[in-house]
Amino acid sequence: MTPVIHTRDLTRRYGSLAAVDGVSISLDENRIYGLLGRNGAGKTTLMSLLTGQEFATSGEIEVFGESPVENAAVLQRVCFIKESQRYPDDFKVKHVLRSAPWFFPNWDAAFANALVSDFRLPLNRKMKKLSRGQFSAVGVIVGLASRAPVTFFDEPYLGLDAVARQVFYDRLLADYAEHPRTVVLSTHLIDEVADLLEHVLLIDAGRIIVDAPTDELRGSAVNVVGGRDAVDRFTAGRKVLHRDGIGGLVSATVSRLTEAERTAARSAGLELTPVSLQQLVVRLTEGTTQEFQESA
Amino acid sequence: MTALAITPTRTTPLSRRLFNVVRLHLANPFTIIGMPLMILGIIFAANWAIWLIIAIVAKPADVADAAQGLSYSGASFWIFVYMMVVAIQAMNLTFSLALGLSSTRRDFYLGSVITFVGLSVFYALIFGTLAAIEEATNGWGLHGRMFTSVYFGLDSPIGLRYFFAFCAFVFFFFIGAAIASTYVRWKQRGLLLCLVVAGILLIGGALLISVTESWPAVGSFFTTLGFLGGFSLSLVVSALAALAGYLVMRRATPRS
Repeated sequence: MTPVIHTRDLTRRYGSLAAVDGVSISLDENRIYGLLGRNGAGKTTLMSLLTGQEFATSGEIEVFGESPVENAAVLQRVCFIKESQRYPDDFKVKHVLRSAPWFFPNWDAAFANALVSDFRLPLNRKMKKLSRGQFSAVGVIVGLASRAPVTFFDEPYLGLDAVARQVFYDRLLADYAEHPRTVVLSTHLIDEVADLLEHVLLIDAGRIIVDAPTDELRGSAVNVVGGRDAVDRFTAGRKVLHRDGIGGLVSATVSRLTEAERTAARSAGLELTPVSLQQLVVRLTEGTTQEFQESA
Repeated sequence: MTALAITPTRTTPLSRRLFNVVRLHLANPFTIIGMPLMILGIIFAANWAIWLIIAIVAKPADVADAAQGLSYSGASFWIFVYMMVVAIQAMNLTFSLALGLSSTRRDFYLGSVITFVGLSVFYALIFGTLAAIEEATNGWGLHGRMFTSVYFGLDSPIGLRYFFAFCAFVFFFFIGAAIASTYVRWKQRGLLLCLVVAGILLIGGALLISVTESWPAVGSFFTTLGFLGGFSLSLVVSALAALAGYLVMRRATPRS
């Protein structure tokens, strides 16, 4: 597949802090990517770099084969819905929805209108007066209706209730099926979107620590549950990502097991349970991983 | 990767992109057009009432005196300052939105320049026309002065009044644009530093002129220049401010 986004050694420093640190990634056309990571991990900075809003300190970026910086030809095919997007003070919802189509050649007005009623957005309310959820909904509508070949959603769920979030997943998937495009979704609500994501990029302290298809990632770890002694015997010499214990019962997260190992575990009376994407991300990015490994 | 290279024909042409930025500035015309015209109306009404009071109370001998005083009216000055504020807000918040809508800084800035020049023409037409009416009606029937104050030359021909007003609007728009670009690029601290430096340069310049006893020379420079020369010169200053704003904005990042 052809990469629509390609970076090499991309770095953005603010003083001594490297918000994005040596990122080299390639994103294929027409897939849904999850950009996961903790607060301050560098998600927004990375997306700002890819959309020419921020300037790289060093490294290379190519979007559609060209640098996105001040490149109108590239940028009009890119839509970046920023969680912290600012609007002119006097702007109402209707002003945003009136002006967005001017900038995105593929804008679908009927789709936008349908989404407005889906999210029950008050068109005449000022952007400043919207609730966090309504504010997010405006971004979601612009992001979906713009049908940009590359669309970034930065924390699109903030403040959205469960119904509104479901509307977003459903509309995104339905529209994606009809109008394939590259979508990059940054979010905290990992389990909720896990089924949506085809590929996961996990960023931590500015560095990409996981760049893998979601399916592969899901199988990359397993929970081994059982009595303390049995678990300890089984995990001895293995890399343990996480370990939980209540009384004599222990659950340890270990890397992918071979079929022979799985059989061995079961015959030792251990139970194997899948690790959710969210658990995995937490295990991979929590500061205490090292400690657990040592204690294991 | 070449397979995905963008075919130039699909890219929105520059003129269209700039027009889009102009439309974005005017998406809610109330702040930029409705509100200033409303305030202008209110201030005019208040001034007219005051002129009426003077006309009723003042003895005939004092009326001429009052008319002389009114020629120093600053009643219309706020509209220029308001336009500077409009420019600052546009450059700050509309900039963030424009980039959020995938505009380039260059397109945004050039589109803003077109918007500001267009607004200057619009307001100069209104200002000049009101000045013409003020003259024709002998100060709205009450010897009042609001649009023909001394700052635009008391006996300037009407054609020049349009031009002077245009120059003044352009000046305030682009000074505002330069200030806002500085703020967006270097935030509060950078803006403060720039203002301090500008202040030092101005005071230093004044000091230099005083020490060298050159004030009479400066005075005669502006006298020779006249209103036409002075306002024309302001266009050069405005152009420099516009250029400086552009250079600053080219590397600015939207605040969040």
